[in-house]
Amino acid sequence: MSVETHAVVAVLTILAVVAIVRMVRRGVLKAKYSVLWLTVGLVLAVAASVPTVLDRVAERLGIWYQPTLFLLLAIGFLLLVAMHFSYELSRLERRVRSLAEELALLRGPVSDSDHPTNHLDSPTSHQAEGRETD
Amino acid sequence: MRTAAIIPAFDEADSLPRVLSDLATHVPTHEIVVIDDGSVDGTHQVATDAGATCLRLPFNLGIGGALRLGFRYVAEQRFDRAYQFDADGQHDASQVPDLLRGLDDADMVVGSRFAGAPDYRVGHSRGLAMALLRLLVYRVSGQRFTDTSSGFRAFRRPVVEFFSTEYPVEYMESVEALVLAMRQGFTVREVPVVMHDRSAGTASNRNLRLAYHFVRLLIVLVAGGKRRRVRTAGMAQ
Repeated sequence: MSVETHAVVAVLTILAVVAIVRMVRRGVLKAKYSVLWLTVGLVLAVAASVPTVLDRVAERLGIWYQPTLFLLLAIGFLLLVAMHFSYELSRLERRVRSLAEELALLRGPVSDSDHPTNHLDSPTSHQAEGRETD
Repeated sequence: MRTAAIIPAFDEADSLPRVLSDLATHVPTHEIVVIDDGSVDGTHQVATDAGATCLRLPFNLGIGGALRLGFRYVAEQRFDRAYQFDADGQHDASQVPDLLRGLDDADMVVGSRFAGAPDYRVGHSRGLAMALLRLLVYRVSGQRFTDTSSGFRAFRRPVVEFFSTEYPVEYMESVEALVLAMRQGFTVREVPVVMHDRSAGTASNRNLRLAYHFVRLLIVLVAGGKRRRVRTAGMAQ
């Protein structure tokens, strides 16, 4: 790898790690994902700063063209992550669905004898209540 | 014997009043449960004004999701049987007693447009898809149905309880539900009914969408044997 490419890879890696750390610190990532992405950042950092590590591992595994090792690992990892997200998404959808059901049941079966949701719908009754309490 | 009509409704304020009054005329003792599936046209107001029980979903879940809520409510309220009825005026309230009579010797009854009225017409691609579904359901279940996607169906309580958690929620869910019920060991039979053309609204048969869901359904039905079984105890015996 030439010095220039090495520099570009290093800068990109540093940016990625910084972005991950910032997101974790701001608390927008759940802890389990922050661990995941920090590990990824660490691996990237090592691979970028000591490129010979990847070469030597590839050699040990009998892989002739070293970049394939990186691509293999990257694709495999991303595939696992995508599968995990699909799983999480399905689970969340199930939960949202059952929450929607619960909400509909809790709102209560309204029939014409009682309209429990009506006062929530109409802004005028709200205002009237507000005036009474003033 | 307590009977409930489950009517999933999404923006059906126009057609609902007639549907509800027809039901009140023909089957006055039944409890009408309208599932307002996130409507914005006052469907829920129309339903409650007509004296129906109305459950409002906070957002649109699709017909399968709305039905599942209906099954859940009916199961919790311990009704003996329930039937699904369309909010768009496609089904005929005078046919309900015939449909329910089918429950005398079955756990679930499907009202078929084709078994009794051969002149009910559908479009070309829809007709072809339906023919393929019929064949597929036959291959999977060993039982012949002439109208696999009918939404005019009646259920005994065990089926209602099963569907209250397991009813499929994707588009064209009725075929999946049919196979699911048979796999679960319930007896399902078909009775001929007369249906109207849809009075308001358009059938959701945009071809591309239909094709996608058709393929999805094929996969589900063929791979269905590996489906996760949940809470089957005491139901299939």
